[in-house]
Amino acid sequence: MSLPDRIDPRPPRRIYRWDLDKTYLQTDFDSLRDLLRTAFQKAHEKVAVPGASALIRELSENGDSRLCIVSGSPKQMRAVLEEKLKLDGVRWDEFVLKDNVGNLLRGRFRALRGQVGYKLPAILESRVKAPAEAEEVLFGDDAEADAFIYSLFADLIAGRVDERVLSQVLEAGGVYPDDAERVRAAWKQIPVSDPVRRIFIHLDKLTPPAHFTPYGPRVVPIFNYFQAALVLLADGHLSAPQVLKIAVEMVQTAGHNIITLSNSFQDLLRRGLPLQQAAVALSQALEGPNKLLAAMRPMPDILSAFSKRLAALGTPPPPPPVQAVDYVSLIHHALPRNHKGRGKPPT
Amino acid sequence: MEAMVVKQPQPVTIAFDVMGTDHGPAEVVRGAAQLSLDSPNIHALLVGDRTLIDNALAEVKHNGERISVQHAADFVGMDEKPGEALARKPHASVAVAARLVAEGEAQALVSAGNTGAGVLACARHFQLIPGVRRAALATVYPTRSVRGAKEDPFSLILDVGATVEATADDLVTFAVMGSQYARIISRNERPKVALLSNGVEPQKGPPRVVEAHARLSAMTDINFIGNVEGIDIPKGTADVIVTDGFVGNVCLKMLEGVHETVVELAQYAYKESLRWRAGLAMLSSGIQRIKDITDWNQYGGAPILGFDRIFIKAHGRSKARAIANAGKVAAKVVANNLGNSIREGLLK
Repeated sequence: MSLPDRIDPRPPRRIYRWDLDKTYLQTDFDSLRDLLRTAFQKAHEKVAVPGASALIRELSENGDSRLCIVSGSPKQMRAVLEEKLKLDGVRWDEFVLKDNVGNLLRGRFRALRGQVGYKLPAILESRVKAPAEAEEVLFGDDAEADAFIYSLFADLIAGRVDERVLSQVLEAGGVYPDDAERVRAAWKQIPVSDPVRRIFIHLDKLTPPAHFTPYGPRVVPIFNYFQAALVLLADGHLSAPQVLKIAVEMVQTAGHNIITLSNSFQDLLRRGLPLQQAAVALSQALEGPNKLLAAMRPMPDILSAFSKRLAALGTPPPPPPVQAVDYVSLIHHALPRNHKGRGKPPT
Repeated sequence: MEAMVVKQPQPVTIAFDVMGTDHGPAEVVRGAAQLSLDSPNIHALLVGDRTLIDNALAEVKHNGERISVQHAADFVGMDEKPGEALARKPHASVAVAARLVAEGEAQALVSAGNTGAGVLACARHFQLIPGVRRAALATVYPTRSVRGAKEDPFSLILDVGATVEATADDLVTFAVMGSQYARIISRNERPKVALLSNGVEPQKGPPRVVEAHARLSAMTDINFIGNVEGIDIPKGTADVIVTDGFVGNVCLKMLEGVHETVVELAQYAYKESLRWRAGLAMLSSGIQRIKDITDWNQYGGAPILGFDRIFIKAHGRSKARAIANAGKVAAKVVANNLGNSIREGLLK
């Protein structure tokens, strides 16, 4: 064995966790017909959400990061999903799919649609293997329980949720005892730290952003991945040229334009995200040595539109306050949509 | 970077004056939010109090890619005198919105607020189309006949208040503008245009109406059907009815008064006798059908014609659906380049 072979890869500094359907892939499964069409789609027929693959590629460019995918798609779709990711130039480190056939054979019907009992243990078990100092950014959507599960995951490992609340949530979420045990076992192995920086929720169903207010400012609902890129620029995960590359891809391949991008920028500003410096960084990137970016229209126009959208808002309001999340009262967010309690406020 | 370019229709930005309506800002925001979901090429620029807009927007389903906000600290209330209010409040939402349209930030303005303030703000920021001496405020009125490819049950009446004393020149210009507008919005290739007078004969009416009649009769590009009387307005005899702002306004208010009186009489009848109540109950589906057909919410608003920019005036009582439809009407007018059509129509 040569010397380089014995050197372990560097531990990840950042972990990016992604859902697939409606987060990375444009997927319809609201009707049986949609479900069947999705199941039989070939890899090249599947369409990624604009900007998603570009964002993943740019995040991985920075090195020292891991991409962990946990999807509710059945294990039988692994080959076609992996092929799609490869077609898009996406490389992953973990790829967990749901054992729906196993659940069916064991008569675990609640597990077929339930998300808490599936995703929460999966991402906690993944975190067990991560270094305590590794930061996390999570990507989900508004079709399922991602905001709830990701926030609960973040607060569990940060020690902000106690065992009593966890038990109440697992019971109300209809989690099977063995899955609940997996959650507790993994949780106990994770050293207390506060690594989750952001939770992005792709608004596939255009759920009003206020729906996610109870989760606090860590959860950022996004209409597109340009918005995620802007926030990640402000958070120091991406550089300005990388954000410009993502924007260019969205303009060139997905019909985005000056208006949609500048509106997306202002939408985040109005929600209190501190992006003023991000706009300055983008301007500077265009003035820098990267002539390729400078030559790409309509980038200069977009930055000019950014300035106008920023000026249009007048004095910014104070940032949203940090808040504790009341998971017991929010459990209805995490139940499958046909569940009686879904969508109803707690009584 | 090699990539496929996806071509899409030209986006249109509509500025909405969010403030000063009867139902408050939330209803206008809801209308614009609905538009952002329904119409991929229409972008809404919401002008008004930022906090109120943000709060309303956060609660409603919308597409954030198609909505932007311009903060405006003031607004003109429905009961304020337009000239005084705009002088006192230079940053009123309607004035800011008109300025943004004039500067090209948006291509049209929709307002459900104070009509006079809207007209005045447009007069200050927009230019009249060459050949147009005075602008005309139009309104739509439900009739029993339908028109154009859209089977539009509304006829267009102009002017209803912007130009109180119109000359023969103005009336001819109004006819051209109304005809072009009906052609675009109702998809009615040859809208029937008529002058409102006190008789159908060509010599009936004041000298300016007689002169306008003679000149319109000689114009082959307009489907001029002559004079109509007030009784012809609800009948739908003409698709476009031309009059001056004084007569038009009196006429409109009288039509509204008749409508309100009929509703009150029905309410009286409902309360007065069990037999009448039974009769009304039996007619209820028919009444509902008439209500649906003549529901002005489906139309959204009516234009101020004559300016180089588009202003659609929505009713002060507009709810979200009417606002969304007013936005669609504005976008359609922009896409069909009404200003050019009027310019060409006036040259013929």
